[in-house]
Amino acid sequence: MRTGTRSPWASAGIFAAVAGLLAFTLFPAYFMLSSALAPKRTVTGTEVLLPDEVTLDNFTYVLGDAGFVRYLGNSLFIAVATVLGSALLALLAAVAVSRFRFRFRTTVLVMVLVVQMVPLEALVIPLFLQASSLDMLNSLLGLSIVYVALSLPFAIWMLRGFTAAVPVEVEEAAYIDGASWGRMFWSVLLPLVAPGLVATGIFSFITAWNEFLIAYAFLDMEEYYTVAVGLRQFAGQNTTDWGAMMAASTIVTIPVMVFFLFVQRGLVSGLVQGAVKG
Amino acid sequence: MTAGRPAPAAPPPPPNRRRRMSLRARRRALPWALLAPGLLVIGGLLLYPLGRVLWLSVQDYGLRELFQGGTNFVGAANYTDLLSDSYLWRTALPNTVLFAVVAVGATVVFGTLVALLLAALRPLARTIVISCIMVAWAMPAVSGTYVWVWIFDVDRGIVRQGLEAVGALGPEGFNWFADRLAFYAIVTLNIVHHGFPFVAVTVLAGLLTVPKELYEAAVIDGAGAWQRFWNVTVPTLRPVFAVVTILSTIWDFKVFAQVFLMPGGDGANPAMLNFGVWSYQQGIVQTAYGTGAAIAVLLTVMLLAVTLVYLRALFREEEIR
Repeated sequence: MRTGTRSPWASAGIFAAVAGLLAFTLFPAYFMLSSALAPKRTVTGTEVLLPDEVTLDNFTYVLGDAGFVRYLGNSLFIAVATVLGSALLALLAAVAVSRFRFRFRTTVLVMVLVVQMVPLEALVIPLFLQASSLDMLNSLLGLSIVYVALSLPFAIWMLRGFTAAVPVEVEEAAYIDGASWGRMFWSVLLPLVAPGLVATGIFSFITAWNEFLIAYAFLDMEEYYTVAVGLRQFAGQNTTDWGAMMAASTIVTIPVMVFFLFVQRGLVSGLVQGAVKG
Repeated sequence: MTAGRPAPAAPPPPPNRRRRMSLRARRRALPWALLAPGLLVIGGLLLYPLGRVLWLSVQDYGLRELFQGGTNFVGAANYTDLLSDSYLWRTALPNTVLFAVVAVGATVVFGTLVALLLAALRPLARTIVISCIMVAWAMPAVSGTYVWVWIFDVDRGIVRQGLEAVGALGPEGFNWFADRLAFYAIVTLNIVHHGFPFVAVTVLAGLLTVPKELYEAAVIDGAGAWQRFWNVTVPTLRPVFAVVTILSTIWDFKVFAQVFLMPGGDGANPAMLNFGVWSYQQGIVQTAYGTGAAIAVLLTVMLLAVTLVYLRALFREEEIR
């Protein structure tokens, strides 16, 4: 879209716009980090904006006395269980819809697509009652099972693209070499869709790690808190220990940021595809 | 699809026939066997609860029903109670719908502006800026919300101090979280900050596919920059705008943590509830599960209506396939 050279005024304008955009985009993340690293004696927003001294005091307090390590462990357990569960179920389902023609195939696909639009707010009350009658409140496993269900539709939809991209000829070659369907699945299809499994796994991890509503409804015993719920304990009724809160927020954010950078490309195309194709 | 499988070698004819049939039957059953676990989970934990929330919404269901079992069918009473309450029309509905309209509009407009800016950058600069933008998207809603609350903290927040320093705010300060408009302005800022990267990246991908010839032809016809954007870019990218608008609408209708975690947003201040938090407040907190379910159903119906309107507009024009 650029034609020839730009006037210096236009270049300056673009530079200013980019600078403004970056300032707006990065400020919250920067402010979170600078507040977390500021010493305990600094208590106001302007003091922590450019801390004169950097210390890990807030982090050691959060992980030590405040017991955040426990919540990290709970969240990690739930996230890993969710990733394993939803990756396995999604892979089987994705192979079924991308490799076989059968009756109601389109119905299944449309159902998977539509079910993604169901708001969590509509599910939280019946899920709460279901879990309470099964004695699964305050259970890490119960929460993991719910998260498998929440992340499954998108995971099926995303993996379907990856399995469909494997040429049928590759499979046929395996059959000609005498492989059974199971052998073909294990030795041919699985390695080829491994990148897709990683991407959907990361997506499920982020879903489970970030989820707040269901976790807050299900967990009322502190020892089972996830990180998303555990953060709330730093918010006091009248005053909040913002240094500790921001340190804990940083700890919650870092794994998500790292994983997010891996999958951003797939996430965008997955979301758009999911919304467009029927 | 994968029918190119060799038949088993030379078994005697009659068993062979039967065996082939069973193989075919097995092949027909295989996709369902693969789908079964996933469908069971989706059915049991997404579809069944969806049915149950409908069933709960026509009952007066509280702790007694939960512990003693039984149903207490009341017909549409929960709905008529809710819909005849001015609280729904004056507070919860504007907090949900009006907020979503403003937030979606702001997200799409800002995201599009960012996409146009990105399209004007050189590839290296573009990659760097996109990576920085992704930081905003990757921030979890929970920690992101707390950062905004800290930025706007009433006593020691940086916004308060800044406004006080330039004399726009007196020493008595101002409680943004107690004022409905200011409260939702902060929620909107949070949502736009978190949601614009998706719009920007998606619109940018669309922008890069618009054929250059279209712009060159427009230039020859004497079109200015604004006309080129309005008459070439916008019509070409209509499907892309439709997608980002639908998705943003679906997301913004059901914000929960971004409201709930704000001071007073958890139900302590009734003026700040949207449908999602209101449903939670009635259902989980007050144990009026029937009322909470009815609010949740209303939210779902609104969401469904919005989605259907968009989809109809889209498919009528056959722009997306």
